[in-house]
Amino acid sequence: MRIRERLASIAAVEGVVVALVFVAMIIFFSLSSPYFLGSQNLRNLFVESTFTVLLAAGTSYVLIVGGIDLSIGSVLGVSAGLTLLTMQKTNSLPLAIAVGLASGAAIGLLNGGLIAGMGINPFIVTLATLSIFSGGLNVLTTRAQLTGTPSKSFASLAQGSVFGLPSPVLITAIVVILLELVLVLTPFGRRIYAAGINERAAHMAGVNLRRLRPQVYILSGAIAGLAGILLASKLNSVQPGLGSGYELTAIAAAVIGGVGLAGGQGSVWRSVIGALFLATLSQGMQLLSISSTWFTVVTGISIVAAIAFSRMTQRLAAAVRPAPLPPAPTQPEPSPSDDRTPAAAG
Amino acid sequence: MSFLPNNATVGQRLRAVVTSPNSGVVSVIVLVCIFASIKSSVFISVNNGFNIASQMVFILLLALGMTIVLISGGIDLSVGSVMGLCAGVVAKLMIDGVPMVVAMLLAVAAGAGLGMVNGLIITKLGLPDFVATLAMFGVARGLLYLWTAGTPFLDYMTDTYFIVGGLRRPFGYLTVPIIVALLATLIVAVTLRFTPFGRHLYGVGSNSHGAMLSGVSVPRVRLLAYVCSGLLAGVAGVLLAGQTTAVAPDLGTGYEVYAIAAAIIGGAALSGGRGRAIGAVIGTLTLAVTANAMNIAGVDPTWQQVVTGLILLLSVILDRASTLLRSRVVQIPIQPVAATTAATAR
Repeated sequence: MRIRERLASIAAVEGVVVALVFVAMIIFFSLSSPYFLGSQNLRNLFVESTFTVLLAAGTSYVLIVGGIDLSIGSVLGVSAGLTLLTMQKTNSLPLAIAVGLASGAAIGLLNGGLIAGMGINPFIVTLATLSIFSGGLNVLTTRAQLTGTPSKSFASLAQGSVFGLPSPVLITAIVVILLELVLVLTPFGRRIYAAGINERAAHMAGVNLRRLRPQVYILSGAIAGLAGILLASKLNSVQPGLGSGYELTAIAAAVIGGVGLAGGQGSVWRSVIGALFLATLSQGMQLLSISSTWFTVVTGISIVAAIAFSRMTQRLAAAVRPAPLPPAPTQPEPSPSDDRTPAAAG
Repeated sequence: MSFLPNNATVGQRLRAVVTSPNSGVVSVIVLVCIFASIKSSVFISVNNGFNIASQMVFILLLALGMTIVLISGGIDLSVGSVMGLCAGVVAKLMIDGVPMVVAMLLAVAAGAGLGMVNGLIITKLGLPDFVATLAMFGVARGLLYLWTAGTPFLDYMTDTYFIVGGLRRPFGYLTVPIIVALLATLIVAVTLRFTPFGRHLYGVGSNSHGAMLSGVSVPRVRLLAYVCSGLLAGVAGVLLAGQTTAVAPDLGTGYEVYAIAAAIIGGAALSGGRGRAIGAVIGTLTLAVTANAMNIAGVDPTWQQVVTGLILLLSVILDRASTLLRSRVVQIPIQPVAATTAATAR
């Protein structure tokens, strides 16, 4: 009985069950195909998933603060295009990286400014910027030949490796760990949770929402810009339509991991698990040579099954548990006695 | 405006017009019309008017369903895929020799059924709306790809179906799709305004707990909202199959974004509890007039997506400005942040 209760309290932590489903999926694929756990396949899996992982990590910030950013796919495309263009014109790697990151951050600033400054719905603002900048990429690709650069250093960004690890995976891992730490450990992170849980209370506690929201969107844009730089380096060419659809995958990844669309709930690592879940599913289906027309159907059903399973387990766990714990034990809520938050918000 | 006294000054009347709901969007439509009629004499003509009308009916039907779902506090990302799949159902059944009316009814029923699956997944399994309908978006699209095996359904058109699809016009300019869309708008408007179900939708969307306490079955209302959305997508699919005369596997891709944009431009909010049928019409009209005006004015196709995004942004900014002005007119003090963000957050 005590073991049952203990198991139940573990299962009740949001994100744990999805992680277990993820592990079960890995076991299933590795039993079905001997190549699945091969080093080449794992390498491909991680390199392919970096873009979704990065976008999902940025998306978790936006979702936790209570917003949504649909423009990240187009930001990825535009920043990839501008990075490659700068590389072709100047052959300067630092400049190209700066342009890629700056273009992402600038679009984030535009989003955040309209959302926080004018109080317009984030969904419609970022839908409009999605349209503007994916159109912008079309215009850019018809004006300039973005077919690649001979630069070795640019190619090594996403194709090289450091200490045997593929460099994009390393870059992504560092960024993701930094994002998680900032979210959990800093006043900035606590303010994001506070604003997402109850914006009015956060405002009363001295959180400057007009400054916080743009900051989060700038961060999300800059991360999408980074993903664009890596993708440009990996493909060494930019086509119109690059990055379209990534926003939905990133949001789906975050939600699969247990980040709530209503705000105030989730973390970066959960989104990363969601993103790896989607990447593993697609990689596994390729290895089992499931026809690509089945992909969307199987992916859709698996998403529903995974989340439904985790919800049901949580419900069962809640029934088994004798004394109800607070609804989301992992969720760091700013305590009322925390007097640094209002002071830091200034 | 009806509450203005008879002796209201011109200034008061003007202010009432400027601050009325949707005034921002309507002024954008007027601006676009003026621009297009200067650029081309063809724009303002009965023929082009009906042209725009027959282009907008499909998005309008989806936007009406989307408005219902948004009012209930949900979102339906699957409408484009469901519309495509229903078009596939009617085409395939007619190829197999099923009578047209039966095929159409079955296709509409299929749409309602898929909507019901969405609703059941959301209400019974407790999945977030975004995820459940995103999964259906993938599954319905994937099923159409599998079913068509990648090649379009052809040769299902009959003489009556040409009339249903609006390709033959037995009643002068009025086509069957336009009549169906008008009827649907009327039915949705009456349902939202005058029936208990309509009132329950607003109640559930603005305060689901309050609605539950006052005896409304919240899951049932949410389920029905998705059934309505699926049903309208089915109707749109039947009409679209008649207009395109071929059902390609990617038929209807991207329509969900137009439907959401139209509903939100028309005043529906993602936070639920807000939206009107006439808003869906105005929102769809904005998109259709813009697209038509750009074609007639000869805007470079690569720029069209950029312009669409800019106009979308312009109309929400103007609407927001109008709302701010309205709140000033009725002397509600605007609190620094909380008041402006609380109204539109999420």
